[in-house]
Amino acid sequence: MSSDPDKLVAKADKLTKLTLTRWSADWRNATLNYEQAANAYRVAKKYGKAKDAFEQASKGQEMLSSPWDAAKHMESAAALAKEIGNWNEVADLYRRASELYVECGRAQPASDALGKAARAVEDHLPDVAVQLYTDAISLLEEDDKDQMAFDLYRALTAVYIKLEKYTDAAAALLRLGLAADKSSATNSQFKAYLGAIIVYLYAHDVKAAEKCYNDCSQISAFLGSDQGRCGSRLISAYSEGDVEEIKRLAQSSTISHLDHAIIKLGRKLPTGEVTAVKAGTEEGEGLDENDLT
Amino acid sequence: MSVIDLITRVDSICRKFDKYDVDKQAELNVSGDDAFARLYAVVEAELDSTIEKAESVASAKNRAAVVAINAEIRRTKARLLDEIPKLQRLAMKKVRGLSREELEARSDLVSALKDRIASVPDGTTTAAQPSSNGGASASTGIKFNSNYDGSFDSDYFQNTEETDRFRQEYEMRKMKQDEGLDVIAEGLDTLKDMAHDMNEELERQVPLVDEIDEKVDKASSDLRSTNVRLKDTVNQLRSSRNFCIDIILLCLVLGIAAYLYK
Repeated sequence: MSSDPDKLVAKADKLTKLTLTRWSADWRNATLNYEQAANAYRVAKKYGKAKDAFEQASKGQEMLSSPWDAAKHMESAAALAKEIGNWNEVADLYRRASELYVECGRAQPASDALGKAARAVEDHLPDVAVQLYTDAISLLEEDDKDQMAFDLYRALTAVYIKLEKYTDAAAALLRLGLAADKSSATNSQFKAYLGAIIVYLYAHDVKAAEKCYNDCSQISAFLGSDQGRCGSRLISAYSEGDVEEIKRLAQSSTISHLDHAIIKLGRKLPTGEVTAVKAGTEEGEGLDENDLT
Repeated sequence: MSVIDLITRVDSICRKFDKYDVDKQAELNVSGDDAFARLYAVVEAELDSTIEKAESVASAKNRAAVVAINAEIRRTKARLLDEIPKLQRLAMKKVRGLSREELEARSDLVSALKDRIASVPDGTTTAAQPSSNGGASASTGIKFNSNYDGSFDSDYFQNTEETDRFRQEYEMRKMKQDEGLDVIAEGLDTLKDMAHDMNEELERQVPLVDEIDEKVDKASSDLRSTNVRLKDTVNQLRSSRNFCIDIILLCLVLGIAAYLYK
């Protein structure tokens, strides 16, 4: 057996091509050859050829009805594509790998593949990354493996913040809170809620932040927790226009335990002008009267 | 907890909640007569305990204890003397079922009580043997009565500088302690957060480990059965096949040896 990868590939191609003398392709040997060739190419750092070889190997495994091996080869191909820097192809290859994993019935590796893809392309194609993360999350949630989704949510939030889509980021954090609630991970849940409030405040949308805080306060445990108290102090500092208080809270330890991206946002608070929101307090009094009557 | 503790605790609880005892209250409010008698009894009981305390002073070894007890006595005396006018008013009240003589006797009782209170020794230097004006007995005593708590004022003012320095040092030390406590609090916050995260991580891994456990169990049982079958197969092979080969080879070797030695 020659170890020259080119020769191996040529041989494998011949094995798979159907001619008069060959009525059915010999996938087993062909796949073997492709795998060897791909490894040889990888060692020789010929990433393009290695990627192609892996793709062929994957197809071979598919023909041999072993989707697991096919998926594994596809992932290797995608990793090599990452080395080359061909981002669209990276996304495509990982997606195919994920589909093959789903065929095996294993949601976890499928979501992992999509997560790897998203991480690879998030610098270059952030929108594609967002899509990939969302798909990965939905894969896990369908399989009831919410806890594994936390990391994906956090990465998704980071991407949104980089894209400056703050409402989307806050929404992602709230979904994280929901997933955490389902798996009773209260600490993560409360941190997610506090993060959402901070994102809203950073986007200088105080009303939304207040609304968010009120919604989250429905959960009594959140009210009494560290994060809840920090959130309420932030909101009240904003409504009183107390810049010093906001700065002090931003340095507090509760915020330092949150995600990196959110800590960065927190330290930059307050953004823009912080005027005492009188309208808010008036509204509050109006509501009180309504309650009394 | 001993029985005595139980009894004392039950007693104090009963006393505390006596005011909720409807029957008892009804009993007490039956007539003003009992109000006077009650108050009188209370004052007398307190007076008795005060006298006891005064007697214990004589046997107390510790100077500080003596001072403390004396202070306590003086305070109680002042309080009781305040109660006396109330008692007198009650005594004046005309109550049905009570004869005129008894009414007068009451006011006498009250004044006698007053004298007795004043006569309790409380460690004041002037021998407080009261005359008929018991209330004014030992005018110095009265001063101490009301001002005892501030009586160290006279000493206080002597040590202004020392106490100032002490107070400053105390404040500084307190500030340093506060700073240290702040640092500790932050560290604890971080620890708490880490512990929570570890907790969540472990909970995440519980079902995974369960899965691993199952799979490993299955794999090991598969292995065991495979091993047994393999052993059987190998034994079978050995017994028949290898034996024949052994014999054949042996014959060959003997043949060759014979040929060589021929």
